[in-house]
Formats: sequence, C-alpha cells, structure tokens
Amino acid sequence: MSTQTDAGTRPASTPAAGAPATFRGAVAAEWTKLSSVRSTWWTALAGLLVMFASAGQLAIYVANDNTNDDPTDDRGIVTVGSVLIDSVELTQYVVLALGLLAITAEFTSGTIRTTLQCTPSRGRVLLSKAAVAGAVTFVLGLVLGGVGTLVARPVLGEWGSAPAADTIGDIVAVATYLALVGVLALGLGAALRSAVLTLTVLLATLMIVPLSLQEPDIDVLNRIADVFPGVAGGHFLAGDTEPYPSVVGLLLLAGWAAAALLLGRAALRRRDA
Amino acid sequence: MITLRGLTKRFGPTVAVDALTVDIAPGRVTGFLGPNGAGKSTTMRMILGLDRPTAGQALVGGRAYRELRRPLHEVGALLDARAIHPARSGRAHLRAMAHSNGIPARRVDEVLDTVGLDGRAAGKPGRALSLGMGQRLGIAGALLGDPPVLMFDEPVNGLDPDGVRWVRQLTRSLADEGRTVFVSSHLMSEMQLTADQLVVIGRGRLLADSPIGEVIARSTVAVRVRSPHPDGLAALAARLTAAGASVETADRNELTVTGVTADQVGDLAHELGVRLHELSAHAASLEQAFMELTADSVEYDGGPTEGGQR
Repeated sequence: MSTQTDAGTRPASTPAAGAPATFRGAVAAEWTKLSSVRSTWWTALAGLLVMFASAGQLAIYVANDNTNDDPTDDRGIVTVGSVLIDSVELTQYVVLALGLLAITAEFTSGTIRTTLQCTPSRGRVLLSKAAVAGAVTFVLGLVLGGVGTLVARPVLGEWGSAPAADTIGDIVAVATYLALVGVLALGLGAALRSAVLTLTVLLATLMIVPLSLQEPDIDVLNRIADVFPGVAGGHFLAGDTEPYPSVVGLLLLAGWAAAALLLGRAALRRRDA
Repeated sequence: MITLRGLTKRFGPTVAVDALTVDIAPGRVTGFLGPNGAGKSTTMRMILGLDRPTAGQALVGGRAYRELRRPLHEVGALLDARAIHPARSGRAHLRAMAHSNGIPARRVDEVLDTVGLDGRAAGKPGRALSLGMGQRLGIAGALLGDPPVLMFDEPVNGLDPDGVRWVRQLTRSLADEGRTVFVSSHLMSEMQLTADQLVVIGRGRLLADSPIGEVIARSTVAVRVRSPHPDGLAALAARLTAAGASVETADRNELTVTGVTADQVGDLAHELGVRLHELSAHAASLEQAFMELTADSVEYDGGPTEGGQR
C-alpha cells in the first residue's frame, strides 16, 4: 500500500466557503446507499415473484369457482384490478422491506453515525430516505401492477375484465399504497431501530389488530378498525364509498406514514446515535 | 479549533464525561489519552453531535455540530472503522458521503489514492475489508471534505507497521498544514511519537492538558544505584529515606530511588564512603507518566487495556 501523506490540496485553517449541503444532496446519498447493496435488488425480485404467484393463484381461484354459464345472471366476472389489489395483501410485506432496511441496516452496521455526520439534521435524513424509499417502492409498485395484470388477465379468461383506464388506475393506486406503506415502515424503523421488532409492529398494525377488531362484527370495533392503515389503504384501493370515500382512506394512510416519520425524527433527535 | 466547555455526559448513575473544559488548538496534533472507559469515544461522539451532552457544550469552530451547514467541509472524523454496511463497497460508501455534502465524485478517487486503497480494495464489500483497510477507508471519509478539523478515534488499531508509520506521517502533515488534529489512542508510545499536546482523562475527568514534554518531565525520574557493598547500600537507603526519597530495594546490591536527583544520591554516597558501580537516572517514558496520572482512575483492575468502547 502506498504511504503517500499528501492529504489534500488546501492549507486549511478555515472552513471552505461554498453552498451549504442540500436536501438534493441528501437524496442522492440515500439513493447511492440503497442502490449499492444487493439486498435492494433481491427484495425487488422477491416482490415480483410473490406478485406473480399471488396474482396467478387468485386468478385461478376465480376462474375455477365460476361455473355459471348463464349469461343472463351475474356471472361473477371480476376485474383484473381487483385481483391485483388482493395480491398486494401479501406482496406488501416483501416490498415494505425496502423502507424498513433503509434505516434498520444503518443501526445494525453503525453507519447511522456516518449518515448523521454527513447530514446532522435528523429531519432531513428521514425525509431524504422517505423520498428515495417512497419513489423506489412506487416505481416497483407500477412494475408489480404490470406483472400482476399480465399474469391475471390470461388466467381469468372469460371470467375477467380489464378495462384499460380502470386497470391503469388500479395499478397507480397499488403503487401509491405500497409507497406509503414503505414510508410507514421507514418511520417506524427509525423509532424502533430493530428490523424484527418493526416488522412485528407492522404486521400487527396492518393486519392482526384490525382483523381481531373486525372479528366479532361489532359496529364500534369495526369503526376503530377502519382507522388502521391497512384497512384504510384497503378502502382506498377498493374505491369504496363506505364507511368513507376512498380518498379519505388514502389520506388516513398518508397520515399514518407522516406520523411514523415524525415519531422516527423525534427518536433520532432525542436518542444518542 | 475544538472547544469543550463543562462538557458532561451521564448514563444513568454513571458519569462518563465529567465537566471537561479543553481547547484543542489548530496547527498541532493533540493526543487524547485515557484508560478503558475513560470517556474518550463519548467525548468524540458529543463533539459530532451524535450523543447529547447532559450539560455543557462541545463546539467546532465556535458552533455546535448540529448547526454546521457543510459538516464534512468543517470536521472530518473516523470513529469506528467497522461501521460500514457489510454489502456496500467502500467506494459506494464514500460516494454516498460525497453526495450528501455536494462534494464532486472525483474527490472520492483522490482520497482513496491518498489513503492507499486501490481500485480492487475500494470495490470490496464492507464485510470483506480487513480492520486495517477499514481504518484507511474511515480516514478517507474524514479527508473527503478537506476539513480544517480532524478527529481520529484509535486510528492505528489493526494497521500493520507500515500503516502505523503512514498514519503518523499523515497526522503530522495535516497539523503542519494548520489543521486541528485530535487523535485518541491507548498506545502511549504512539502518542509519544506523534502528539505535540496531550489531553489525558480518567473516569471522564481531565487529568492533564499540556505539551507532551511537560507531561513526561513532570513525572518521576528514577535513579538506579548499584554497589558491591550491601551494608553501605543499606546505610545509603536509610539516609535517603530519612531525606524524604522513596527507595525500592531491588536486591542486596541495587536500589531504585525516586524523589531525588542522581547528583544528590552521588553526593550522599561520597559522604558515606560507599563505593558505587552504577549511578544512573532513568527518565520516565510517557507510558509510565500515563500510568501515574491515571493510577487512581483506572476502571478495571487489570490496568489500562485496549479501548473497547461501544
């Protein structure tokens, strides 16, 4: 190895003048970090496989269940979009790993200290991570929606319909849902630090707690369940009008993601790194 | 310039750093010494805004780290050479750092070259880096923004002799360029070779902040006396003890005396008519000076050992 000692260029005694570090710079740094580890790409591939299998299987169920050939009845024809939306129930747990690992891997490897040295503003660190994780999961969500459509459409055959505008709308909705869940995972990960703990809490909030609340079918418990992020996201994806318009479902989910980010920022600020 | 004012950190009932007030000046290498658990790493983390002080302030160039607008251009730090993502290459690690502070990508190659990591080493994933390569990568990260203040926590850990010499030359040349260089180490001998100024802490308290020569000079000089006449030597020992010196009897023909000069011992021996075969003064090494300074503040019984801070 070389034993060169010339460290630099400038006989420095005063800080270099120049523009302050920017949010854009922090975003570029986060993208570099996310794209430079193989686990990101494996996660994306795993998401594709799960979507492929899940959409295929759900489409087969629909096609096999439908035996009514009488065209005057409601034959139970489903849209490709609805199969997509159901497939996301499972696929989301793979995709949210992107948001989760973006922060928990920093705690386990100790690079969080480097990150905070580069960007001392805890809020900026989390926002830049949210921008990157959100954008990546959104794009991945579009790809997953496309793959799901290509798988489900031929399997459904005569039992499916895929009006172009509706399908595209559903794909964009799926991508939006996944991006928000990814950001939710990121914020929670910043607050809880451990990947396993965060995943447990996410499973509980997205699925277990609301399902338990809905189980006895008591009105007040159902109302509470409707506020949970997974259920709210589900109403948004399904384009429901009850118990609230689908846009309220979207806002509720976005609110959860924002609250998780605020929680994560508070934890990063208060705790020693 | 790093300014610590009453800097204090408590973890529950434990005081890790206790009202530290020190100025670390530019243009010289300041060694940061202390036994295991003395609070060196905690102090460095507080300077970087990573740990929140319980009381007091740590300022860099007069400002708190969290207020710096271009932090990598103002402070470069190597804290933990192991802190790299196991799957990320060293080059990508540096590139991410560079992006965050608007540093051009070619600077990454410059600093890699400076620390002697070639393309193959820089392309290895974090898990494949040796501790020595990790140290070099960490130093490269510290140099990235060409900052006027540099902090290295145990930079020679895991380096081969060639690497140790390289770090020595690097810290020296950085200080000669007018930068503030703050280096912690448990290797006193290393500090003796590189540092101009010493900041010594024990149990979080400041024990010394002075030029390295003073720290050594202040500590005891031992005088060794050998004589073929055990009886005369015993008489000499008695007189020396009476005069307030402390005397250790190595064997019947040898004494080690502290608290007096060799001249005084020689005069006394002449006065008593004791024939001497050896009369020699031994300047304490920094190692001994350090042991004396921190004798009361060593946390574990085994004595100062390699820093294993979290």
